[in-house]
Amino acid sequence: MTRLSLAAAAALSMTTGAATAQTEITWWHAMGGALGDSLNQIATDFNASQSDYQITPVFKGSYEEALTAGIAAFRAGEQPNVLQVFDAGAATVIGASGATIPVQDLMTQNGVDFDIEDYISGVRYFYADSDDKMIGMPFNSSSPIMYYNIDALEAAGVEAPTTWEEFAETTAPALVEAGYIPLAQSHSPWIFVENFMSRHNLPFATNENGYTGIDTEILVDTPELKAHWTALQDWEENGYYAWYGAGWDDNQAPFEEGEVAIWLGSSGSFGGLMQKDLPFEFSATYLPYWEAITTEPTQTFIGGASLFAMSGKSDEENAATAAFFEFLTSPEVQYSWHRETGYVPITTAAYDLAKEDGHYDRFPAAEVGIQQLSLPAGENTKGYRMGFYVQIRDVMNREFGRILSEGVDVDDAFATIESEANALLARFGQTQG
Amino acid sequence: MKRAGFTQRWLPILLLMPQLVIIAVFFYWPAAYGLRSSFFLQDPFGFSETFVGFGNYLTLMRSPSYLKSAGFTVIFSVLVTFLSLAIALILAVKADRVIRGAKTYRTLLMWVYAVAPPVAGVIGLIMFDQSWGPLMDFAALFGWDFVLGVNYFDTAFAMVVVSVWKQIPVNFIFFLSGLQSIPRSVREAALIDNRSASGRFWDVTFPLLAPTGFFLLITNITYSLFDTFGIIDTTVKGEPGNNPMTLVYKVYVDGFRGNDMGGSSAQSVILMVLVLLMTVFQFRLIERRIHYT
Amino acid sequence: MTATPKRRIKWSNVVDHLVLIAGSAVMILPVVMLLQMASNPDIETMRNGPGLTFGDRLPANTTKALFEASGFSGVNSGVQMLYNSFILGIGFAVGKIVLGMMAAYAIVYFRLRFATLAFWMIFTTLLLPLEVRILPSYEIVQKLGMLNTFQGLIIPLIASATATFFFRQFFRAVPEELVEAARIDGAGPVKFFIDILIPLSRTMIAAMFIIMFVYGWNQYLWPTMITTDEDMYTLVRGIKQITQSLEGTNLPEYGRANMLALLAILPPVLIVIFFQSWFVKGLTESDK
Repeated sequence: MTRLSLAAAAALSMTTGAATAQTEITWWHAMGGALGDSLNQIATDFNASQSDYQITPVFKGSYEEALTAGIAAFRAGEQPNVLQVFDAGAATVIGASGATIPVQDLMTQNGVDFDIEDYISGVRYFYADSDDKMIGMPFNSSSPIMYYNIDALEAAGVEAPTTWEEFAETTAPALVEAGYIPLAQSHSPWIFVENFMSRHNLPFATNENGYTGIDTEILVDTPELKAHWTALQDWEENGYYAWYGAGWDDNQAPFEEGEVAIWLGSSGSFGGLMQKDLPFEFSATYLPYWEAITTEPTQTFIGGASLFAMSGKSDEENAATAAFFEFLTSPEVQYSWHRETGYVPITTAAYDLAKEDGHYDRFPAAEVGIQQLSLPAGENTKGYRMGFYVQIRDVMNREFGRILSEGVDVDDAFATIESEANALLARFGQTQG
Repeated sequence: MKRAGFTQRWLPILLLMPQLVIIAVFFYWPAAYGLRSSFFLQDPFGFSETFVGFGNYLTLMRSPSYLKSAGFTVIFSVLVTFLSLAIALILAVKADRVIRGAKTYRTLLMWVYAVAPPVAGVIGLIMFDQSWGPLMDFAALFGWDFVLGVNYFDTAFAMVVVSVWKQIPVNFIFFLSGLQSIPRSVREAALIDNRSASGRFWDVTFPLLAPTGFFLLITNITYSLFDTFGIIDTTVKGEPGNNPMTLVYKVYVDGFRGNDMGGSSAQSVILMVLVLLMTVFQFRLIERRIHYT
Repeated sequence: MTATPKRRIKWSNVVDHLVLIAGSAVMILPVVMLLQMASNPDIETMRNGPGLTFGDRLPANTTKALFEASGFSGVNSGVQMLYNSFILGIGFAVGKIVLGMMAAYAIVYFRLRFATLAFWMIFTTLLLPLEVRILPSYEIVQKLGMLNTFQGLIIPLIASATATFFFRQFFRAVPEELVEAARIDGAGPVKFFIDILIPLSRTMIAAMFIIMFVYGWNQYLWPTMITTDEDMYTLVRGIKQITQSLEGTNLPEYGRANMLALLAILPPVLIVIFFQSWFVKGLTESDK
């Protein structure tokens, strides 16, 4: 053996020696592309910020794939320490109470200060249990907001609508006149069902939106929701609204191309829109509401995903996870995540930091998501908890496609959604033994 | 078995063992496991389960969306099979006839065999893209407002086109080698008997190709049932929505995306029975072919 | 004049050529389009889609596709995926051929009561493609701790009888006299297998290898489920990432994605083209 390789071997054994002193944890997530880069930066910063712990993020595909991979790994006893679970998967993970350690317990057991009141009110309870104990740590939290093309609205001589009535009577006709398609929207189940409920403070499911029991039934076959969808169907016919399929990007692209004047998307889309250097000025504001339903619109649910601490790990590793969560929720980290991605900061301290730094003076649209989440709450705005919800969303998407592309009757479609969703919920109840 | 075989006792067992072990572990065990799962509803994490008897099967039989995707699967398979066989046959007949450039044509027409189905799906996505797809522009020439992912029919159309594109080469190769194995004497006799080219084709060539065609029929049905998964998966872009779905894709959507183990196991078992019937049919066919050759 | 009949023959010839040219164009143009898109800047592709002009980004995008990884680990570069795909393709083909030949040899050349049972046990696997038993197979692989390993990727795919069936057919057609002669020469079964039967099957093995390599390389669903670690991704599985983006947060990297797609089809396509005669033989004689 040459001297060089001996030295290399010695160096190697030294670094591995150092590594064993560190506790290593893994983090499975579903953030690809630029979001993944921002996430990796958080991990790198955490590793650099201290010497006891080392976190490794691993990209696991889409939200659905990441959840399935996490579940499979758990069954094989090879689960990661931290798993990112999206909103629709929350019930599956929280329902299996032995699968995760509630973050609130994890934090307090490891001597990290935890006060649920530190979190933004719209964020606080979505991943909590019926006793308001936080189970999953909100991570990339977004809210559906209304983006609009300033140039288009100016050309039409209108303001961004605050109510759907205003949209239908004033905004849309003027925009059509000016040669635009007034409205498009990505992710119908999220924006036009889930957040429709919270924006108008309507119950979404029995058992307090599913939080207090397993025998939950969904409540979507309601006059308010059906009136909205009937209106939408009419708008589509009049050219006020265009639907480009169930895919997210297909609905966003026409807005970016300047064909569509108003697009309902995620507050988390902000970073991407900025990056694309659009050929027009855009801004954002709150999701409109129906004055006919309420004159006191409430806050929206958060979307996006949260981080769960998987159970079955050693105390040292759990301590590392707790330390990571502490780092993650620190105002500085939250603010930089917020600034780069457009996802909302989850704590009031981080929000204050962003305000102090003048972030919203520079980008007023970046504040819309968090402001909307901080609107007055109602008894139905905490969130929802339903099992097999991924499939329920698939049912919704299917029926919405039929309403918007095949002209299926709204009443029939919602009756179908309600009965199929309830059958799925009943089946989920049976899986829970 | 050869009449003049060896008589060692342990050697053949040793030779068979690797294959048998792998089959037992990765074929019989999963098949049995799937059968069992189909009678339960199971928590995704495996904490609890409830025996539901034939409940999962009954749910499927009553589910309009399952029946709809079963219906789509039938139509899809028939279309893909028929179109890819017909087009490949035309091309093979032409390629068999030309003298100049025969080899080049053969190469150009068969290399797509090696293209992976999901890549074919990605190509389809580009061709039919909503804002600038060339085939969408082409459809617009006929006043067809083609929108992939929005209109059920249009999406199904795109799936069929891509699947046929991917399948033509295999059929082409089989038909061409079938044609080339027709003896010269038969062809010459036909030339005397039958003056019109199309008459010769239907009276002589087509019947001689029938065994190949029949064999290909089953291969093609299997292809459109199973191997098109990658095409479907890429075409729907991660959101099933109201897009058409084949039965195999639905197993994946419900089991892998929706974490409904019991329901998707029941779907797997139904597919197993279906394939079982088809393959018994195919097996008898192959055995008969062997007798003749 | 003799020109008239000649002309008529020519016309049908022209039609034949036109049909074949059209068919070839339909096969080739989509792939040329991929190449064209990979040669242009992403933002242009996003706005205009495929066009007629080739840009200058081909080398840059090729480099990106080959060497740039997307992930914290920095390991799922095109080269790594290419490597994984080769392992899958070759491992699958070799495993299948070796196991298939061994089993077929045992079934055809030995007097063994157990043979009929073994034969049927193996043959039942022809009935059920991996796709229909995919979830339980996944559970088994997971129970055995073989997720994200090459064994887990390859071995379950081998659990089917296509190669065994194929070699059984072939061995049965080998003349009886050969084995008689070998026995008279005092050659044992192992010697006969290695010295006579394998050399005799060379062409068949090559043909089989090409079919199986392409089949293994093009696997999609199974690798998608089994490999969740970035360093295990194959190219075809990587396609999934290409088509996926989340909440419209970033500019799709068309150039890189299309280059990766081209990369994914290149090796099997080249093999099929260069070993055309073996490939056709393998395909038409295996009959699945």
